[in-house]
Amino acid sequence: MPRKKLVVPEEKKQLQIDSGILQFTPKGAYYESADEQAKQIFELWKGLFEFDRTLFALVTLLGGTGFSKGAMSHMLLSNPQISDKSLIPAGLSFDYEKNVIKYNLSKERIPRALKNLMMLLGREGFEKVNNSRSRKIIFDFIFDRDVNEIQGLFLNYKSKLKALLRHAFGKQDTYNILHGNIQSFVNCVGTKYKKYYPFVLYVFGADVGEVMKNKAFIRFPKIEAYYKMKEAAKAGDVAEFQKLMVDMPQRTVMGFRNTYKLPIELKNVYEETKVSDREAIQKEAAAKRSGAKVTVNYNNQDIYDLWKAFYFKLLRGEKENLDKITDAIDKTTTKMDKMDIGECCVIIDASRSMEGSEQRPLHPFLTSLCILSVLDNVKEVFYVGGHYIKTEISGQEIAAIIPYNQTDLWRGLIKAIQTGCKNILVISDGYENSIKGMFAHTYNYFKESGYEFNLVHINPVLATDAKSGTSRNLVPEIKALPVSDYKYLETELLFTQMLTNREMVKKLLVNKYQKLLGEKE
Amino acid sequence: MSIFDKLKFTGLSISGIQSVDEMTVYPIVGPSHDEIARPSTLKFRRTSNYGTMVFDNEDRERPAIVPSNLMARGPSAQDHAMSGAGLVEKGKSQSFDTACCIQQRQGGLLSEKDIEHDILPIGLRKAFLNPTFRAEKNMSRLWPSISDWLKGMDLKEKGAAHLRYFYGDPTVQKQLEDFSAEFEPMGNQIGAVILFCGVPVGIEIMPSVEHWMSYWKYLIRGCYGAELLRLKLTGKLKSSILELPEIPKGSSVDEVETFLNGYIQGATQSIVPILDSMNVVTKKVMSHRAGMSVDLIQVGNGGGDIVKYSDKPVYLSVVL
Repeated sequence: MPRKKLVVPEEKKQLQIDSGILQFTPKGAYYESADEQAKQIFELWKGLFEFDRTLFALVTLLGGTGFSKGAMSHMLLSNPQISDKSLIPAGLSFDYEKNVIKYNLSKERIPRALKNLMMLLGREGFEKVNNSRSRKIIFDFIFDRDVNEIQGLFLNYKSKLKALLRHAFGKQDTYNILHGNIQSFVNCVGTKYKKYYPFVLYVFGADVGEVMKNKAFIRFPKIEAYYKMKEAAKAGDVAEFQKLMVDMPQRTVMGFRNTYKLPIELKNVYEETKVSDREAIQKEAAAKRSGAKVTVNYNNQDIYDLWKAFYFKLLRGEKENLDKITDAIDKTTTKMDKMDIGECCVIIDASRSMEGSEQRPLHPFLTSLCILSVLDNVKEVFYVGGHYIKTEISGQEIAAIIPYNQTDLWRGLIKAIQTGCKNILVISDGYENSIKGMFAHTYNYFKESGYEFNLVHINPVLATDAKSGTSRNLVPEIKALPVSDYKYLETELLFTQMLTNREMVKKLLVNKYQKLLGEKE
Repeated sequence: MSIFDKLKFTGLSISGIQSVDEMTVYPIVGPSHDEIARPSTLKFRRTSNYGTMVFDNEDRERPAIVPSNLMARGPSAQDHAMSGAGLVEKGKSQSFDTACCIQQRQGGLLSEKDIEHDILPIGLRKAFLNPTFRAEKNMSRLWPSISDWLKGMDLKEKGAAHLRYFYGDPTVQKQLEDFSAEFEPMGNQIGAVILFCGVPVGIEIMPSVEHWMSYWKYLIRGCYGAELLRLKLTGKLKSSILELPEIPKGSSVDEVETFLNGYIQGATQSIVPILDSMNVVTKKVMSHRAGMSVDLIQVGNGGGDIVKYSDKPVYLSVVL
């Protein structure tokens, strides 16, 4: 068969930026390890930071992954903020960076927020950072909450809290505080958090007896119960432990059960302890294996988690609750805020590579399904590649597609054009092998022949070998929009304007800052 | 008569074409042989001596096949490679004392921990097509070929016959991973015909879909990808891509579909006469055990191993 010389286009020396920088999670992809990706994305963060620090800080207000935001906050906190107030853009307060970081932390789920704070301790491959801004952020995150909340934090994340507080107090103040120096505590955290002095003693496992005689301090009944439960576990008092574990966080109870080798059936732990709705769906399979009868509320879940639960059950050959999950998918899809780009056809790449990495199985494909759920006005959907797994739901046989086989996306493009649709969306990782370049070849033919249609390429996968930005294109002239989470479509749209319309985007982001953080100049 | 028929394989067919830059892969689909132990039950255990690789077959019912020229690279020990395919009886451990060291100046014996596998690149596999060379019990016999193979590449480390200079080089690693990932296994795929710039360079057939799923990366990345990359790095192969057909002007959408389907069908079928023209000569039975045999065969200017179970072919690995 005829061959021709391979011409590799020259790479352009310019800032490479797209919303992929906000969507990074170090879990690798079908093609690349997490380390390779992290190295690449760090360079992109650095590029934007050097290009415009304000933009860098404000874009973190847009939808993105907790990891990206944590790493970007780490970069902000590692580099002192300018001291000249006149250089702060109009509409922003002097300490806007700190406010943005705090706001982002407040919007994350607690485990992710804590991981982001732990980056400041030199964890997860980051450099240690300890300055007045980072300390303030840690203290506010821990103490700016009511008694119930702070007790919940303690019960679930005690060791992380301990590490964070030791880091923020420093060695000398930690020593002073744990030896009864209340003033030292107040000097570090401020007067408004003085009431939480005993809480810190609890976190470090220090004696609170003397302090609690002082009526000025509030009590922490759940923490007291926690210590009683710990004592029961240590003493091997199973009956007492089982009494105290009811409604305690599952991870805490499980930790004691395993550490002290308590002869309590897993089933009982799953049934009597507390988990969030999200944890419930994530731990459903483990709970079931233990024989526990747990109820998962599928109607209160994110669409991604629902698709994930559906596919994982399907691949494990489980049928239980599939009907409830599919019902919940239908209901959640109906309730979602839809994005209408006009009547469109969607081509979904269901080839093998869309199964993602071992650390995050099926992620690209599940993301494609979520994007499909958020789109309105979809005329037809074409899956390319894949194969069908059959199962039965409520007595009816259904077939669900899973990623498999080669990538011949050009077939999907032809099918979409046959419908006469003017908007064609292709959701693909951009890797094409049957035959490489055939999609662009087919696209070019139709364009040159006068067919009128807009092609939008959404890419749910980060690729370090992308010719520009963070993801691979299928057609050189059409830059893929990196969307690793259906929630980030808005983010991507703003990013596409960033290089060409920097001031406009900055203005939009300042407005967003004012709206979200309720601040005015 | 295709090479598959000449070798008495049955039920095989070519399923499509995957072509990325210089490499083209024709997936081979066919029946799985459940009489061969699953790949997950075959374990590399250690090198018991320099030049001896030990494998265990944990399947108590079925014999196992060690893929031809399988490499084992591990920390602080001399990396090794098999001189051909290996056979392991059901539930048994088997030592292969004709293996080769592939890391000249490194001492130490491999254990099963932190082992990376690949299949030797084509250039080095060809050395083992000589049955006398293959059967030698001389652990250092591949070193001159490795030194030659590494020549001309600008790698981070150099200076000895260490194949890991290549596989461990960060740039090479990245390129090999990217490259191998361009290709995707197909449903029922058990093998592939591999071409560089339109020239066949290998035929691989595994006993089952599961075997292909387990070993395809070792082949596509470690064997064929490595050779292709070396040829490019040493300027011995010019970059090229498959030229896509010009779609006749004025074609309607349906006509475009018919035209491109025809092109893909033609491209897929174009491998058939090439396979038909391959001549096969059996040179020598290299080993037999557990009702299986490894025959060294000559195919054109190349050759490789065919494994038969009860006289029926279940595995083929040929470099051309």
